[in-house]
Amino acid sequence: MTALLEARGLRASYGATPALDGLDAAIGRGELVALLGENGSGKSTFLRVIARIVAASGGELLLEGRSLADLPRRETARRIAYLPQSTELVFPIRCLDLVLQGRAPHARGFSADSAEDRDRALAAMRVCDVEALAERDASALSGGEKRRVFLARALAQEAEIWLLDEPTSGLDPRHRLEFLELIARVHADRETTVVLVTHEIDLAGEIADRIVLLRAGRALQEGPPAETLTPERLRDAFGVESRIVTDDRGRRRIVAYAPSR
Amino acid sequence: MKTTRSAGGLAAAIALLAVAVVFGLLAGGVRLSLRDLVLGEGPAGETARLVASLRAPRVLLSALVGCCLAVAGAALQALLKNPLADPFLLGTSGGAAAGAAFAAVAGFSPLVSPAAAFAGAVASSVAVAALARRGGRLDLQRLLLAGLIANAFFSAVLLAVFSVASGQTARTMLFWMMGSLADATPGKVLALAPYGAAGFAVLLASAGRLNLFAVGEENAAALGVDVERSKRIVFLAASLLTGAAVAFAGIIGFVGLLVPHAARAAVGNDQRALLPVSAIAGAALLVAADAVSRSAFAPAELPVGAVTAAIGAPVFAWLLLRNP
Repeated sequence: MTALLEARGLRASYGATPALDGLDAAIGRGELVALLGENGSGKSTFLRVIARIVAASGGELLLEGRSLADLPRRETARRIAYLPQSTELVFPIRCLDLVLQGRAPHARGFSADSAEDRDRALAAMRVCDVEALAERDASALSGGEKRRVFLARALAQEAEIWLLDEPTSGLDPRHRLEFLELIARVHADRETTVVLVTHEIDLAGEIADRIVLLRAGRALQEGPPAETLTPERLRDAFGVESRIVTDDRGRRRIVAYAPSR
Repeated sequence: MKTTRSAGGLAAAIALLAVAVVFGLLAGGVRLSLRDLVLGEGPAGETARLVASLRAPRVLLSALVGCCLAVAGAALQALLKNPLADPFLLGTSGGAAAGAAFAAVAGFSPLVSPAAAFAGAVASSVAVAALARRGGRLDLQRLLLAGLIANAFFSAVLLAVFSVASGQTARTMLFWMMGSLADATPGKVLALAPYGAAGFAVLLASAGRLNLFAVGEENAAALGVDVERSKRIVFLAASLLTGAAVAFAGIIGFVGLLVPHAARAAVGNDQRALLPVSAIAGAALLVAADAVSRSAFAPAELPVGAVTAAIGAPVFAWLLLRNP
């Protein structure tokens, strides 16, 4: 099986600081892969290189065996949607217009507002339960609402790969759970490949098909949650002592209780 | 609903421009009456029409310069995701003035001066962008500081150029540093028009990309825009507009800051509507400001840059307080 996305010795840096230092990782079609690792381990940078926000400085990143950097940007934007961790809006913008931006890579001059585009945008907003916000100013929304509007935008983009950078950070428990349900539904219904960066180890263990543990810009370990989310691996990746417990619903829970000495 | 809003904004801007043009033709050392100008018969009517026809090139030049500066400001604000961006505050106007002043002092034909101003504007943009770059990206606070530095530097260059050049009067000095539309001729209007049209056309063609930049540069990149290429194109077009405006009217600040704000309040931030509305509203603002500069202390004239600064500086302060 050839991977949908494959990184081989991928390197990237911000100025003189290396963020990816020879990363090898493969993501199969239809998989939900979680990237875990301590702050600065290169998780977000990996997403940003795939989204073509940051250029790789070495190694290879392949989409279906072809170098991503050689593909037209517009084409990759039609296939890959990126949900940023934070989106501070400086200018007012109507929510519907923000969701319509998801259609931009499909439209002439990056301006999408045909009747068809509007229909798709509104349909995506319905799925994400933000249709009622269509005429509202997105810059005045709460964090949770804004996150859903951006998710609707990713949906309207009709991309086969979703890159989600800490999609649940800053959400209250209810919005967090609703948001995760939504992601799981889209992943299942549309056979979307999802690459997720998160600090929620249990969440990753629950929803991911596969985990990639990163450390210092390299893949430390990859595999199914049961193999990767073990006290030994977590000690290597995060420098913490942890134990595995089973909660009263039979779910595996990881309790990190002390920094490693 | 949205198109109605855009159309309404456009109509309002056109109405403002019409009022400003009438005001511009009537105001000045000799105050004309609209009645004489339109219906007047005999000597009164003839005099009014003669005076108005002498003022017409100045009104047209004001309109074009206002257009160029407002469109450049609107595009830079979207590109940099910064409501405080303006060709004057970012030092682009200063660079343009230095370029044009060099050309003037070196004895080149006035028709070359837009090209020289363009070169100066581009040089200034490149320098300011380099100063404001931090870790591979433009830092917005540094950008405004770098603009301040560029303005100080180019003011010094202008002073030096005029001190060394012979036969330069305080008035030409004031022309560059505070802006003036007093030397308008039909020839200048015709020379400026193609630069303005070219810059505007390029930016309007980039409107869809600018909408993505207004949410963020990373946003534009993730949606398939070649951001480095787009930034170059928009900076060049904005520099062209600024250079052309400065070459014929000197440095006039705050038009590029004020107008896009007013236009945004009217039609929202979709650049496809915002750029045309800013163009027309910018024309209206500068025609009106020039008319005020001619009539407030007639027969003495205020530099038009002083009039725009008198409106712009308080608004800038208000924007700064509102955007921490």
